[in-house]
This record gives sequence, C-alpha cells and structure tokens, in this order.
Amino acid sequence: MNTQTGTVSGWLRQNRTRAAFLAVLIVFFAAALGGIRRQDLLLTIMQGLSVGAITFLVASGLSLIFGLMDVLNLAHGELFMLGAYIGWTVYTRFDTVVDILVPLLLLAAPFVLMPLWRGIAYRIPRRRLSGSIALIVGLVAAIVSFTRFPLVIWNATGFANTPAALSAQVGTGLLKPFPAGSFGWAAPVAFIAMAIAGSLLALSSALLSNRQGASKHPNPSRYASAGLLVAVAVVLTMYKTPINDWVFGLSTSWRFLIAVVISVGVGALLGAAIEVVLIRPLYSRPIYQLMLTLGLGFILVELVGDIWGKPQFTMARPALFAGTGPDCPGQGFGGFFSGCSTVEIFGGTLRVYNEGFVVLVGIVVLVAVSLLLKRTRIGMIIRAGVQDPHMVQALGVNVRRVFTLVFALGTGLAALGGVLAAPSIGLDTGMGAVFLLGAIVALAVGGLTSFSGAAAGALLVGLLQQIIIRFGQNGITLPFMSEPFKPTPTLIPAAAILLMVVVLLVLPNGLFGRSEQ
Amino acid sequence: MSLLNVDAVHTMIGHYHILEGVSVMVDEGSIVALLGRNGAGKTTTLKTILGIHPASSGSVEFDGVDITGYATFDIAAKGIGYVPEERIIFHDLTVEENLRIAERTKGDLESKEEFLFGLFPDLKRLIKLPGTSLSGGQQQMLAVARALVPDNRLLLIDEPSEGLAPVLIEQMMEAIKKLSSRTTVVLVEQNFIVASRLAERYVIIEEGQSVKDGAMVDLVNDEEIIRRYLGAA
Repeated sequence: MNTQTGTVSGWLRQNRTRAAFLAVLIVFFAAALGGIRRQDLLLTIMQGLSVGAITFLVASGLSLIFGLMDVLNLAHGELFMLGAYIGWTVYTRFDTVVDILVPLLLLAAPFVLMPLWRGIAYRIPRRRLSGSIALIVGLVAAIVSFTRFPLVIWNATGFANTPAALSAQVGTGLLKPFPAGSFGWAAPVAFIAMAIAGSLLALSSALLSNRQGASKHPNPSRYASAGLLVAVAVVLTMYKTPINDWVFGLSTSWRFLIAVVISVGVGALLGAAIEVVLIRPLYSRPIYQLMLTLGLGFILVELVGDIWGKPQFTMARPALFAGTGPDCPGQGFGGFFSGCSTVEIFGGTLRVYNEGFVVLVGIVVLVAVSLLLKRTRIGMIIRAGVQDPHMVQALGVNVRRVFTLVFALGTGLAALGGVLAAPSIGLDTGMGAVFLLGAIVALAVGGLTSFSGAAAGALLVGLLQQIIIRFGQNGITLPFMSEPFKPTPTLIPAAAILLMVVVLLVLPNGLFGRSEQ
Repeated sequence: MSLLNVDAVHTMIGHYHILEGVSVMVDEGSIVALLGRNGAGKTTTLKTILGIHPASSGSVEFDGVDITGYATFDIAAKGIGYVPEERIIFHDLTVEENLRIAERTKGDLESKEEFLFGLFPDLKRLIKLPGTSLSGGQQQMLAVARALVPDNRLLLIDEPSEGLAPVLIEQMMEAIKKLSSRTTVVLVEQNFIVASRLAERYVIIEEGQSVKDGAMVDLVNDEEIIRRYLGAA
C-alpha cells in the first residue's frame, strides 16, 4: 500500500465497487424521494432524519461496544426502551424516583468502601461458599427491607392512575405529587437493614471476585463519599414533600432536562454493571455472551411491562416544544425558535420537537463522540483497542476499565435515544426490539465497526422507513399495476432487511467498513 | 541481583503444555537472546513474562517483585516494553498517536523524541501519516520506538529482523545496540548471526525447556551445540 490512500483519486481507484454502489444507492433514494409530492418532500426527509437520529443513538453504542469488545449486545434495544421509561418516570412522577432513590443510595453506599470489603474478605476462609451465602442473605435482606420503604407509585392496571392518564395531566397543572408515604417510627430500622444488605452484597462481590485484598484501609475520601450517599438518602427522606413540590412546580422543559440527565446516568450505570457482572466473566465464550444479552433483553421487557403496564402510552412534550397561540405555527427556519410546537417551511408542516430537536441532538452526539474518538486519549485507546485490545494491554493500559467505560457510554447513548424518542413516538415495551433491528441493519449497512458508518446506515434506515410510510399514504404508480401500490408499514422491517441484504451482497464489509484483513 | 528472573515456568495454552520448565536470568543492562528452533517456546516465554499467557507454575520476578499472575497491563506498567513478532501497529492511528498511546505520563513522548528520532530518523518524516501507510520495515521501527516511549527498564523484542531487507536489518541492529545503553533487552531471534552480534548472553529453549545458557562468545565457537539445537548455523 502506498501513501496515495489519502487522495480522492486514490480512494476511487481502490474502492471502485464501493463508489459505484454508493452512486446507485444515491440515485435510488433520489428517485424514491422524487416520487413524493412537493409539499411532503421536506417532511419526509426530516422525519427520516428524526428516526435516523434515534436509530443512530442506538446504533452508535452498539457499534462502539461491538467494535471494541466483539460483544453484540442484544439487550441494547431494551436499554433504549428502559431509557424511555425511566425518562418518563422522572418527567411525570418525580416523587416515585425520590422514593426509589433512597433505598438504592443506601444499597450503593457500602460498595464505595470496596477496599474495606476486600480486606475483610481476605481473612474469611472458603471464599466461594461464604461469598454465595453472603450473596443470598444480602439479596433476601435487600428485598425484604425494600418492601418496608414507603413507595408511591402509579397503578399500572387501575384507570385514573395509569401512566397514560398521568401523561395527560402533564402541563395542565393537574399533575400533583402523590401524597407522600412515610415510615413513621420504623425509618431507622429500615435504613440500617438496607445498609446491612448493601454491605453483605458488597462483601459477597469481594469474596466472589478473584482480586486479592491489597489495601485494607480505604482512604478517607471513600468514607466521605459513602457518608455523602447516606446523607443524601436521609435528606431525601426528611424533605421529601418540599423537594417533590419544588420539582412539580418547575416548567416541563426543566423537568425534561432532569429526565434526560437521570435517564442517561442510569443507562450508563446499568451498562457498567452489566459489563462487570455479566459480560466480563464470558469474554472467552462469545456465544454465551450473545445468549446472555438476549435473555437479559427478554427479562427487561417483562419487567418493564410489569412495572409500567403493557399498553403503550405517550409522554407529553416539554413546554419549550409545545407552544400554541395566535402566532403559531412558526414560519420559515426562524420558526424553530418561536416557541411554537410546529413550524411551516416550504408549504410543509414540521414538528419542532420531532423533526428539529431530535435531529439536532443526533447531530450533536455524532460530533461529540467523533471528537471524543479523534481528539482524546481515551478515544485513541478505543480506536487502537478496536484493532487489538491485547496489544493495548501490553502497553500498560488497563483495557478492562476502558471496556466498562465504553459499555457505559454505549448504553448511556441508548438511554438518551429512549428518553428523546418517548415524546415523539411514545412508550411501548416493543420499541426496543424495533430500534435494535433498525440499528443492526444500520451497522451492517454502514460497516460494523465504523462509527461514521453507523451514522450513515442509521440515516438510510430512517429515510427508507419514512419513504415507505409516505408511499403508503399516497400510493405509488407502478407501470405494471392498474391501481397505485400502497405499501403497508409492516413492510418497513422487510425493506430494511432487504437493504441490508443488498448492501452486504455487494459490499460484505458495509459501505464504510474496512475489511477484516 | 538480576533484573528479571524467570524460574522453572510452566505455561499452558488451552490444553497444550507449551512451556515445561523455562528459566531465564537477565542482568540489568545486558542483552539476552532466546534461541531455539521454530515452535520451541521462545515467543511463549516472552508472553509468559508479560502475563499474556500466564504461567501455571513457576515464578516470574521483575526487579525483586514476584509478578506471576499479575494482569498484563500491570506488568507492562511496571516498566516492561514489548515488541511483538507481528509488530501490531495500530492502523487507525497516526504514527504520532501510535507513539503517544504508549505514554504512561504526559510528556513521555516529548522527552524521548530526540532519542527516538536519532534511532529511527524515518519516523520523524512519517509522523503525521496513518499506521496503514507504513512499509514493513517502518512498522518494525515504529513498534520498537513505541516500546521506548515510556521509561521501560526491560524490553522484550520478538524477531526484530524477520522479513526485513538486509540493509534494514543492519539499521535495526544498530538501533538495538544503541537503545541497550538505556534499557535491558531480551531478544528472540531466529537469525543466529543477528543474535550473536547483539547479545551478550544466550538461553537455548528446546521443546518448551530451557536447556542451555551462557555467554554468547562461548556459543559462537561451539559448533557442536549450534548444530544440535539451532540447526546449521
């Protein structure tokens, strides 16, 4: 190979098939878009971009994780879905979040003192047995004490308090915190029981992991952080009502921001936990990893269905994107900033949230992650690790830690996609599977480990979907049929798979992938 | 006290018992060559030192610390650089990034730049190019330079002359001689002429066991041993 690879002509010479195929694809999509009525054209493209942006948020994490760790995380779609549900909960029922947060903080606090547990574990004989016992006792204690915590939650099966009914109250001023439950005299007991359960679980993880106890005294900052977690739990319990009233009094735009932050945070933490506990022991057995993530996905779907109720419901759009009034819809590109929920451009009507904000966030994430990969040391390590993690390890880099970080980043992005998608496409326990399929097609089309390829693939998947929907509404006149053909939306997954098959037949490494050798 | 002490190490790769008792002592500041036929276990010895294939019994001591069973990144971070047989340059990274990634503290590369470009002047010219665009010889230079970026006290170099043109072999030997003034080197080398001109001591590995060691000057004159363990010299 010579140094000419950088030039356009050099690239063309080496990628003749690719260039020709790209041209065919562009012509195809242009022809399909050309068949759409003028006033629908912009809407179709922008809706395609919107779906593409959400697909990209799922696909980007999938691509990073697969590229670096060779793990195809089949639970990725479900983490996307979970992001949506958690986002909805923070947005609509912050009081429930506060109530759940208290026991979780108490459970997490002992884990901060890990060196202490390692030191203790060091002195305990028969680590495996005693670790298993500590695990079981800890789990039972955690579940039992969890049920003692007062928890206000919607009633997923009742009528007035279903998530759908609660969603309808957002922004109307009708939505109020549930009457706060309280412990009464049992608070200290429940607190201590939960902390003990957390300690047992932390000890069991120290016993069951293979790491030897190096330092026995955690440094003071760890005690301080553990203390801080407990203090936050106490404050949340004592000032539950004023905190809830304050958050419920905030504008929905602020609450949406809080929802995004918490949702992404929870998604990332969950991803890190999944990597450390479930994926890490199985790096030498990839098939088991695949089955494990598949099973995990099923569990998450059922769990979410149980907690939030099966039927789909919507999430109210934040105030910033829900404006109405005499001046609405906004006109032209400036209309995006008019505070209206819709904007008219070139005779078509776009929704500011769906076709504006979601696309914008997608682009911001694309740029941010690209910069992270190109400009930072961690990005450099990821790019090198995609090729050969063992060599990176041999240079003295703790690749395992980078794996966990990337897994967390990927699932965090998926959760971001979920919480963004909720106000535009609604919540449904099946949404994870739909977008996972889209993301996998996007990856295959774009090239499995290419980050920009994931973006291009997601864009194609989104466009394809919207073009089919548009033709489904208006019909398409085909030369050999007497009536216009109207594809049904059920054709969307089939068309996406067809796109993938065609691309892979011509370019086995996808549009932007590099060959394995 | 020796810098590296590999003591009666056994290593399994899957179900295969590859090393069945290898002992290597390396004094600080020396160059030691591991010699032996293809498949004798020389590369595995290097990988065992680095914990890539951890020893199932025996011990590896580096600088007085027993590092047997440590994770690879931990061992490397103690000051061991590795130049693998396959070189393994990162294609997606530029030459500069390929060096930068080996930094253990910020500024490692800047402080070594002069020395590295003195050893391999070519690299300075190539610094902004992607790893894919390098020739085999340039990749080898980059792989060695990369191992020199942090303050490594020991360098494990696997087959530095393999696949290189004679002119480049000369250049590579020159570089290894120069860099050995800074770090201790363990070398795996098929090319006996290269090994004999570089190393002060040797260890012969035969079917997973270290069978003979000593000073290189003695080996060069001992045709009997050369023929028996290394084939025709």
